[in-house]
This record gives sequence, C-alpha cells and structure tokens, in this order.
Amino acid sequence: MWLLCFLSSVEAQQVLRWGADPSGGAPYVFTDPANPDRYIGYEKEMVDALAQAMGRRAEFVPSDWETLVSALQRRSFDVIVNGLEPTGDRAQQILFSKPYYIFQLQLTVRHDDDRINSLDDCKNCIVGTLANTASSRLLQQEGIPYRSYADPVGAYRDLELKRLDAVVMDVPAEAFYARSNPRLKPAGQPFTRGLYVIGLRKGDEALKSEIDKAIDKIIFDGTLENILKKWGLWNDAQVEFQAPIRAGTQSTKPEEYTSTNATFNWSEALWRLTRAAAVTVLIALGSMVIAVVLGLPLAVGQWKGPAWLRGVCTIYVEFFRGTPVLVQLLFLYFGLPVIGIAMPGWLTALVGLGLNYAAYESQVYRASLEAIPLGQWEAAYSLGMGPLLAFRRIILPQAFRIALPPMTNDFVSLFKDTSVAFAISVWELATAYRELANASGQFLLLGAAVSAFYLLMSLPMAHLARLLERRLRDRTTERVVEEEALAT
Amino acid sequence: MIRVNGLRKRFGNNEILKGIDFEVPPQTVLGVIGPSGSGKSTLLRCLNGFETINGGTIECDDVRLEAGLSHADYRRRVKDLRLKVGTVFQHLYLFPHLSVLGNIVEAPVHVLHTPKKTAETEAYELLESVGLRQAARRYPGSLSGGEQQRVAIARALAMHPALLLLDEPTSALDPRRINSLRALLRTFVDRGHTMIIISHSMGFLSGVADNILFMDGGYAVEFGPTEEVLKSPQDARTKDFLDHAE
Repeated sequence: MWLLCFLSSVEAQQVLRWGADPSGGAPYVFTDPANPDRYIGYEKEMVDALAQAMGRRAEFVPSDWETLVSALQRRSFDVIVNGLEPTGDRAQQILFSKPYYIFQLQLTVRHDDDRINSLDDCKNCIVGTLANTASSRLLQQEGIPYRSYADPVGAYRDLELKRLDAVVMDVPAEAFYARSNPRLKPAGQPFTRGLYVIGLRKGDEALKSEIDKAIDKIIFDGTLENILKKWGLWNDAQVEFQAPIRAGTQSTKPEEYTSTNATFNWSEALWRLTRAAAVTVLIALGSMVIAVVLGLPLAVGQWKGPAWLRGVCTIYVEFFRGTPVLVQLLFLYFGLPVIGIAMPGWLTALVGLGLNYAAYESQVYRASLEAIPLGQWEAAYSLGMGPLLAFRRIILPQAFRIALPPMTNDFVSLFKDTSVAFAISVWELATAYRELANASGQFLLLGAAVSAFYLLMSLPMAHLARLLERRLRDRTTERVVEEEALAT
Repeated sequence: MIRVNGLRKRFGNNEILKGIDFEVPPQTVLGVIGPSGSGKSTLLRCLNGFETINGGTIECDDVRLEAGLSHADYRRRVKDLRLKVGTVFQHLYLFPHLSVLGNIVEAPVHVLHTPKKTAETEAYELLESVGLRQAARRYPGSLSGGEQQRVAIARALAMHPALLLLDEPTSALDPRRINSLRALLRTFVDRGHTMIIISHSMGFLSGVADNILFMDGGYAVEFGPTEEVLKSPQDARTKDFLDHAE
C-alpha cells in the first residue's frame, strides 16, 4: 500500500523540462567528457537546484541553440535555460524570468597580434561569434563585419587558423574555451554587462512566478553562489547583483543592465540576404567552372588513359561520388589546416563543390564521348586529322550536345547544394535564412524570400540551357525527323 | 598511282589477306568484288591505314608502307598515306554538327592550313560539281541519303587525294541514283582522279571500273580489265561468283 502511495506521489511530482544546446555548450551545459551519457555544467546544476526548490523533477531536452525559441513554442520543452539574453525581439515571442546571472563579453585575438585591443580596432576585421547572441547583435550594431558559428570551438579554431581576426564571446564560454589556449590571448578587459534569464512560453505566467520565486530562493540561500564558485564564474558583478536579494530588500531592476537590443531590421535583413545571394552565386559559378574544366581530363583519363591513369581517375570519381559532400567540405575546412592549408570558408565551399561535381561531370562527359560512333573518329583520321584535332573539332562538339541536358540538371542541383556551406559558417543563402529567421521568428516570410532568390538564380540558367539545347537540336536532327515523317 | 605487293593481314591466327598484288594506274578505277568474308573490307582498311599490315608493301606516290617498321615510323607513314588516300565510308560518317560547307572545309583548313576563304571557294566548286551548291549551309541531318553521299565524296576530294576509296557506295541507293552516281564518278575520273571501289553490284562496276580485282578467301583470285574478268573469267571461283550474282 505504501509503495503505491510512493509511486503515485512520484508520478504527481511535476516535471520541469528545460531545453539548451549542449554541443560546444561548456560551461553552461555540455556532455561530461568522463561519461558521455551524462550532462554537466553550471546551468545544469542550477536547474537541478531550481527544480528542487519548486518541488519538481528536472528533465533536460538537448536542442539546438538557434532554434531554441521555436522549439519552446512547439512545446518541445517548458523553459529555455541556456545563457539567454532578454532582448527586445525575443520579448515579442517569449516570456522572461528574473535574471540569474550577469555576463560580460570578452574579445580574444591571436597571442602574437597586437593590432586589436578593443572592438573599436575591429572596423576592418572579420570577427567571429556565436549566432544570435549578445555579441553578434553588438557587432551588427557597431557595423563590424562578423561571421557566426554554431559553437565556440569552431570560432576559436578559425581564429587560430587566421580565418578570423578576433572572436567575441560571453565570458563564461571564453573562460572555458580560450583562456587556457596559449595561442590566443584576451584583448582588453571584459566589457558591457548583460543579463541571463530563463525563457518561457507566452501565457505561462504561473510557471514564471514559480521560477522567479525559485531563483530568489537559490540566490538567497547561497546555492547559486556555490555553483558559480565551483565553476569559476563567481565575480564582483555577481556579488553586486545578488546583494539586494540576499539582503532581502528588493530584487534587481533589469533596466540597470545593458541589453543588446538589436530589434530586427528588415532593410538590413534584405541587404544581408542579397549579400548571401551574391556569395551563393560566386560559389556556384566558381565550382561550376572547376567541375566543367576538371571533369574533362577525368573523363578522358578514365576513358582512353593507360591503366594506372584509369585507376587514379576511377578512384577519384568513386571517392567523391561515394562520400557525402558535407563530409568532404568539413574535411577540407577542418582537416586540411592540419597540413597547413587553411582556406577561407567561401573558397573551401567553392573548391569542395567543384571537386565533388567534377566527379559527376566526368561521368556525364564519358558517357557522351562514348556515345559518339567510332566512325566519326575514323572519318576524321581518314581526312588526315591527328587524335587531338579529331577530338577537339569533331568528337567534343558532338559529345557536348549529348552532355548538355544532364549538365544543366547537375548545375541546377549544384546551385542548391551550395547550401551545405552553412556547415562551415559561410554566409550564403541557407545560413542567412537560418540566422535571420531565428533572429526574427519570420520563418515563413524569409523562407519565401530565400526560395525566391534560389529560383531567381536557377530558373534563368535552366531556361538558357533549354534555349541552347533547342538551337543545337534544330540545326542537326529535327529536319531528319521531319524527313522521316515525310518518308513514311 | 598505287601499287600493292604481297599484302598480308592477320588477326591472331586467322589470316584474312594472304598476299594481295595489284596496281591502279593513274586516272583509272579499280573495282574490287568478292563474296562476303573474302577480305575486301580488310583490304580497304589496310589501304587507309586503319589496319596494320603484317606483310608486303603498299606504295602510293612517294609513301611506302611495309610490315616490320617501328611503331612510330609506321604511324608517321600512315599519316602521310592518309593525306594521299581519301575515303568515302559505307556509312559516310559526315560530321553532324557541321554544315555541308563546314564538313568540306574542316580538314583543308585545320590539317592543310589552307586559308578559310580559299578552302570555301574550292568547296563551292566541289559542291557545284556534285550538284549541291545550294545545300552548302544546310546540315547533314537534313539531306537525303544520296545527297549525303555526294557531300562525303566532296569532303574526301577537298583534300586532293591521289586515290579515292569508296566502300560499297551503292548499298543505300535506288537504281536511278546508282546511275547518276556512276556518271558522277566517271566525270571525276575524267578530271584526273583515281579510285578503288568496293562493291557487290556487278552492273555498277561494269559501267565505272577499268579493272576488276576478284577476291576470295583472302586471295586475289583474278585481276584484269573489267570486260575480260566479267565476260570471260579464268578462275572457276570467279565464274561461280558471277553466275550467282544478280
């Protein structure tokens, strides 16, 4: 009987489901390196303490930083606890709890770089940061060119590889990921003061007051101080912030703290989308050139080359066709720097997609070349042409007509495949969509705009290819069909 | 013009040409006949260098092809030979991506480096002589079979070959067209051209060839003036073949 009572009481105990991004999430919440099945972090411990104060059981829902707000609205979890800043644009979408932490930002540069000592020195640099954070909004406000990353590791690595000039990050992340790296150093002192709050769904007022009360409680009884001390995050700012609550006098007034209140700016967004479209076109056209040019020697090598060359070409083709282009890009971007080749992101995407599509084009070429009857070669030879002249003047132009439709097909899909470049933080259309839509919540409208951009690029190309095809066909075959129709 | 001595060609252990001798004097036509598998096509492919010969010699003007040359030397001589020997293939193999004019000037311009203007003037003259001047800007795909054949002849002649090879030129033509082709080839012979024609059609050859070579089983069974070979063949195999033809 008592067992039943116990079970029902456990069941009755309410769950507090909280969402955060654990990948590269130290020291907030991240996978325990010693035990990959467990999550640790100061916010993990804080939520456990809060849940205990609320008489609930905390349940962690691993999620993705940039889609936290939409996941909250989709009821994937009840609260966001992930170093969330109470910005104006977020306020329109979700509800905020009381603040629980005062954060600052820290600029980091390479250890041998003395050019940059504050953000003011960064006007002509590229600064890395996390997408949709206080730092990214600050950089946007200041008009400093920046590149956003999905996690701090990637940003600091690209700083080391000189793909970036500096990185701005919330101090907790900076302390964990950069402070101990001998190749990096902090530039200047921590600056600005912002707040971390817990995010809730609009309308969840009851849960909000429950959480506010719990925050006051763990501050008042020193639980939060212990957690922060344990993680090396206790500092003067926290003392100052917690003092009135612990004195029992009053709670903090959020107005005393700066929040990077970059509300969503449509003309800015359109400008950034246009720039993303330009980068997309650059990557697509550049990789197309590589694919078209490199595809030909590959095709000829595999078709007519000596055995060793055929082998090399076949291995190349099978490697690039048989592995995902995403993996290839990640390898080029993160793997090649190990042997000293650190290309910027857009160039990596351009080269990577070019190498990848060259494998596909070579097969289109090869099939088209093999489709030309042997008699065409012999006719050319019998007129005294050498193999090169016959290939260039007789075989290639005919093969091109056969190759054109499948090539068009490949290139339309190449345009769309440029979107994998988001994985290496290239500011192209897919990245732009993800970031701008997450910042504004306008998934539908921006989605339509981005789709329109893609279509604006791929439709004219498909149309052009069709025109060319028709012109070539008119000249050579259509009259034959007519004549055959007349004959029968 | 062309002299063939003891020509041998082997594929593995299978000897296709077992020592062929003949000569084609300038401004004459040699007709080559024989049953299927007698080696006619192989002979033609030896004469324009598409098969490497295993014995004997082929002499055309100052080019001499023989067995036992080094690979590079043989290839060099084949290249020279091809400038002397023009070929009209059975299936023509016109270049479908080039206009009629383009087909004709392609090799003179890119192989002989004739100025384009000169090559085109010559091409128009050739088209005139095959009766296709008005078709210069059309594409091969839009021409009839007979017209395509005449373009192929013009294309081969544009290189000024010492010898023109024609492989089964009548295979795709109706009787009326065969007659006009015969007349056309005769006019070219009168203008100084020399030809070897491989054909099944005895009627066609009797009107155009000066000499006949009858082949069977890889041997040149009979070689002589057309009249003699067709009217009074010496060999039983020739007699048998002619009795069963047409």
